[in-house]
Amino acid sequence: MSFLRKKKLFIFLIAFILIVALIGFSLRDREDLTIVEEIVNDTVGWGQTIIHAPINFVTNIITNIDDFKDTYNENRILKEKLAEYKGLIYEVQELKKENEDLRNTLELTESDSIRHYKPIQAAVISRSPERWLEQITINKGKDDGVKENMAVITPEGMVGKVLTPSKNTATVQLLTGFDQFNRISGMISRKEKENNIFGMIEGFDKESKHLIFRIIEESKKDVKKGELVVSSGMGGVFPAGLPIGKVKEVVPDKYGLTKTALVDPSADIYEINHVIVVDRSLQTDNIESEKEGE
Amino acid sequence: MKRVYLPLILSLVLALEGVALELLPSNLLRTDLLIVPHWVLVILVFLTIFYDYDSTYYSVMYALIFGLLVDIVYTDVLGVYMFSYALTIYAIHSMKKLLHGNIFVTVLLGAGGLVLSDIMIYLIYMIVGLTDTVWVDYLSSRLLPTVLSNLLFLLVLYPILAKRLMNWRKEHINKDSML
Repeated sequence: MSFLRKKKLFIFLIAFILIVALIGFSLRDREDLTIVEEIVNDTVGWGQTIIHAPINFVTNIITNIDDFKDTYNENRILKEKLAEYKGLIYEVQELKKENEDLRNTLELTESDSIRHYKPIQAAVISRSPERWLEQITINKGKDDGVKENMAVITPEGMVGKVLTPSKNTATVQLLTGFDQFNRISGMISRKEKENNIFGMIEGFDKESKHLIFRIIEESKKDVKKGELVVSSGMGGVFPAGLPIGKVKEVVPDKYGLTKTALVDPSADIYEINHVIVVDRSLQTDNIESEKEGE
Repeated sequence: MKRVYLPLILSLVLALEGVALELLPSNLLRTDLLIVPHWVLVILVFLTIFYDYDSTYYSVMYALIFGLLVDIVYTDVLGVYMFSYALTIYAIHSMKKLLHGNIFVTVLLGAGGLVLSDIMIYLIYMIVGLTDTVWVDYLSSRLLPTVLSNLLFLLVLYPILAKRLMNWRKEHINKDSML
């Protein structure tokens, strides 16, 4: 009996050591997933794509019914908006043309621009049940050109970045799960260039449910409520001009030296079905240094 | 052929966990309540009570395998779910010798198992630094809703699974002992 008991204790201790080793292994800064993980991720992802279809169908019907309720009001507002857009479209076309002409005179190619990116369309196939981690899985992976650290957006704005790509699926870290290791360089764009405000999105405050935007470079004009924060493209990983969110509140930091803006994400983080992975086609090698710098 | 049913069910539930949150109304996701589906664990509790004999440890084995799969697919931090699921299932396995398998015992052991494993996950994540939730907040915003919602899942599954598992036990494990 005492032998059996010793054996049990022994097994438990070995298991414990193994677990600690496993956790330690997976927590260190891994560049790639192991082969086993990739295979499992792809297989489960494949299964989830199948399961997801009927579930999507049902949830779509439910949201459709919800939508019907306020169709009339929405339609009226949209009609008004549409009239405005007609004017805008013309203006944008003119601006685009002018931009292109100017670029040509400067002999810049399209891919030199920090705004340029190649979109990779993807569908969300699952959301991690572990709510503390805030991850989703999408159905595009390395085979489709998805790489680590690429920005993930919806038409409304940024939702996160690619954490670990497998062959045919990829895990995306949502903005709500960002910490001080995943920063985005952002800015508040003003009409005059010298009034622009630069800063960093430094994480997500779980209590107030806002992104924390630390302002690094102030301008003469203070940040106001409701101003749009976009990515500045200075980091080298994310292209410029992706909307991140709107300023909700401005608070001074602990020492009163810098200011922090609480930003309301413009994309709906809790209801994502389709996303666009942003492949910044800039062939620069500053991506590596960027990762260390940030 | 029937032998593959168990891994199949477990894999299906594993994949379903990923879409579970989409079935909830999105307003619920926006609140502070964190409902975590531990459906794999619920199935494993059924396995322990109705499939395993006192001397067989299939459920612990499945707990190790599928705990690891949950880790790989959903969290990228290996070993956390594996460890807590396996230990929980082992504890339930040794508890069930004392109790007869009926619905009350299943609910009781299921609740105990859910509490135990979720607290273990919380502690490990706390130590590793993946969460910094305070103990009191954790109790009210995550543990309680999680356990209650998963118990609901357990109650729904009880009439479907309990009898069936006992039948499978007779077929499978007797065949094993004959071999």
